[in-house]
Amino acid sequence: MYTLTPRCHLQPVRRSPPPSLSVPSRADRDELRSTWPQRAWTLAGTAAILSSLSTSASLVAAGSSSPAEPLAAALAAYSLADLATGVYHWFVDNYGDASTPVFGAQITAFQGHHRHPYTITFREPCNNLHALARGAALALTPVDAALSAAGSTSAAAHAFVGAFAACVVLSQQFHAWAHEKRRRLPPGVEALQSAGVLVSRAQHAAHHSQPYNTNYCIVSGMWNGLLDRYKVFEALEMVVYFRTGIRPRSWDETDASWKEDTGAENAAAATAGNDGLLQTAGISSD
Amino acid sequence: MAFTPATACCKPSLVLAPRASSRGSAARAQAALLCTPSTSAFRGLRAPASAAPAPRWRRSAASTGIVCGKVSKGSVPPNFTLKDQNGKPVSLNKFKGKPVVVYFYPADETPGCTKQACAFRDSYEKFKKAGAEVIGISGDDAASHKAFAQKYRLPFTLLSDEGNRVRKEWGVPADLFGTLPGRQTYVLDKQGVVQYIYNNQFQPEKHIGETLKILQSL
Repeated sequence: MYTLTPRCHLQPVRRSPPPSLSVPSRADRDELRSTWPQRAWTLAGTAAILSSLSTSASLVAAGSSSPAEPLAAALAAYSLADLATGVYHWFVDNYGDASTPVFGAQITAFQGHHRHPYTITFREPCNNLHALARGAALALTPVDAALSAAGSTSAAAHAFVGAFAACVVLSQQFHAWAHEKRRRLPPGVEALQSAGVLVSRAQHAAHHSQPYNTNYCIVSGMWNGLLDRYKVFEALEMVVYFRTGIRPRSWDETDASWKEDTGAENAAAATAGNDGLLQTAGISSD
Repeated sequence: MAFTPATACCKPSLVLAPRASSRGSAARAQAALLCTPSTSAFRGLRAPASAAPAPRWRRSAASTGIVCGKVSKGSVPPNFTLKDQNGKPVSLNKFKGKPVVVYFYPADETPGCTKQACAFRDSYEKFKKAGAEVIGISGDDAASHKAFAQKYRLPFTLLSDEGNRVRKEWGVPADLFGTLPGRQTYVLDKQGVVQYIYNNQFQPEKHIGETLKILQSL
């Protein structure tokens, strides 16, 4: 009788990483599971976001604001979050390395993701979101507190910061869905992707093609067309180059440590045989 | 008064259409000028021949596509002598008697400049057929030009404008509030008179088509 084996019950496939690369050739299964500190940070970030949004809702309920303002503010935050994720993504994809202060770990993470794009779909939710949730917990809480302490009765302000933080934190989940095979997506997600509410798999696949210099936004992707058509990031890269002499990674032949590792993943598929859970392509094609 | 890119007439904007100066009617120029983004926001535009080159700031898009700066359509640009990619001095005067396409670009080995250089390379036969010479000028040194030319097999001359002296003399406007050296191409006729100027920072390949069109009518 054929049964599906849950992913977490499978034996990990161990292989040694290529010696020339500093980034591991593939994350161990344990690295993809959520740890308790990761769960705690995800909870903290979620609590901060819900607190901000509920403050907004209670201000509306108390009659100090009409619902239209916080809704409009939330929509603006959703749009701005898409742009913000694009700018941040552009920055870490093109500048710095593991030794860069503050951003080093993130740059390494993005580098690993470029090497093995599909691994993100194996990450448990808190494992995937905890870093952004930590940022939300640490940044949103004082901002929200400051808004309340200033006697602000603006439901829109709380809604804006709460929605912005929510979209940024969830961008990593939207990002994972943009790599997932269609049949594995939760109900409704594919429709949201097709509608442009969430970043689509096709749009994000374009980012994972050399020279990796387009489609940086990962919330809804609404800004990608504009930013790419008007070469906004290219303009920024030129300004940075003329000001500092630093070339972005996307200008030159992609270093092997940033290129998608299709060879290792194909070999893994051959080794795994009928194990449909070991995916070979960075982006699902169906 | 000394002219510097920082005080260039242009108030650069990413979405403003490029500037061009050539024969054309004022009405056509007015209609063609756009300040709003479109699917091809960066277009070579033609300004009336009578457009005054004096103003040093960029007017609103509703006005003409004035090309500010010292070298404008109808003028004879000042001669220069710059080193080419082999370190040999090259003077502009040497090319009198044939049309010359002088294109100023920001820097070697940047995406736009590479696209532009390769586009000039790929159409070089057409320029030769029109009897024209192509000269690229940037602030990079001869060694950088040599490597750039070798890597992309560029058949034309690249000149080192150290300190961007010639760029300033000719009045090539900078982009993005003076942070980026401008990308501007001049077409000189056999007498060395400027017949066309085309400016487009972010659609570098368009310089080739626009200048070829003019060369064919010279």
